Amino acid sequence: MPSRLAQRRAGFREMTLSARYTELSLAAGLGEEVEAVWTSVSDRAASYRVLPDGRCDIILRFDAGQRPITGVTVVVTGPTTRFYDVPIEPGIGFVGLRLRPGWFETVLGFEPAELTNSNLIGAQAIAACPALKCLCAPARDQNELVTSLTAFVRKRAADGRLVLAPLSRSVIGAFHAAGGRLRISDVAQMHAVSARTLQRLVVKATGLTPKALAGILQFHRALRLLRDHRLSPADAAVEAGFSDQAHMSRVIRRMGGFSPARLPDVTLVSLDD
Amino acid sequence: MAARLGYTILYVADVEATVAFYEAAFGLPRKFIHESNLYAEMDTGQTTLSFAGEPMAEMNGLAIRANRKTDVAAGFELALIFHDPEEAYLNAIAAGATPVKPPEHKPWGQIVGYVRDVNGCLVEIASAMPD
Repeated sequence: MPSRLAQRRAGFREMTLSARYTELSLAAGLGEEVEAVWTSVSDRAASYRVLPDGRCDIILRFDAGQRPITGVTVVVTGPTTRFYDVPIEPGIGFVGLRLRPGWFETVLGFEPAELTNSNLIGAQAIAACPALKCLCAPARDQNELVTSLTAFVRKRAADGRLVLAPLSRSVIGAFHAAGGRLRISDVAQMHAVSARTLQRLVVKATGLTPKALAGILQFHRALRLLRDHRLSPADAAVEAGFSDQAHMSRVIRRMGGFSPARLPDVTLVSLDD
Repeated sequence: MAARLGYTILYVADVEATVAFYEAAFGLPRKFIHESNLYAEMDTGQTTLSFAGEPMAEMNGLAIRANRKTDVAAGFELALIFHDPEEAYLNAIAAGATPVKPPEHKPWGQIVGYVRDVNGCLVEIASAMPD
């Protein structure tokens, strides 16, 4: 049966050939607050492009050549509305955990809106969420970092008092299911709330305005239609809900920094069940 | 090349809750729920009624308008056949279905009523078509 459950989750992350990015199959052990756990190790200086996907990650950065691993730096990435490039030095390893949209505050204790289009690195991250300090403890190897990061998030989600309200969960679910194609007023109407209430719920849960969230989801889906479904740009533009192909091209250039005609080596990473 | 209707799959916000509702409201037994809670099948014979979690739509690159109780119903219905539609209608409402139209006798001999399920999808509660 699980063949009907094609992928647990897919996302776009662009990387150079020298960076090995892997999503780990921990499906059975992951709670609903976790979208993916990933690792990446670079063997030479590289640049890693992060596309906006409406998600936030908790990332542990470390020297991959060292055993045991000491000097782990914790990084919290906020929700982004456009691409950014991360320079990566050779030999640097990363273990990351992508939170499902809406779980940021439950796990980290502050609202994601405080971190829109920015990151917290090292001491800044620990100042914002002191509990993150335990993730900087020395570890035998990368696997131990994966274990401690996963356990940390699960415990925070279970203990959290800032649980996502069912209405917020429903609203965010509707935006995602529609690939950003529904008008904000439609989503508000579907849930029998005002546009203003919707705005407040979405910003609190994701750190993005409903318009920005819908835009990111639409961009993300357009990329999938082009790359994964192999639709022509004209067909992808229609299915993704853009007014025309030129509109889609402008959005892809602005959010991804590339043209749909020359998609970079974007790797569609997925976690299979 | 003739197709065969294999599955009717409803995308729902909460697969587990929907399965529990369909069991209580309509007496349809579950076949299984996948451990991810993102997919379930009911035991409905040759043509399977399934529920998929909304994240599955996004994973599969689809875009859908999510079903919500507070929204106008989507343009489709599930028609379930009961021996006693009047009793089935009351039972469904007792289990949390929203009443839409109590069962009535149709000129062609069927008894037909309508409710909306926990997700706002239209469900017809009918007797079998007389022979």
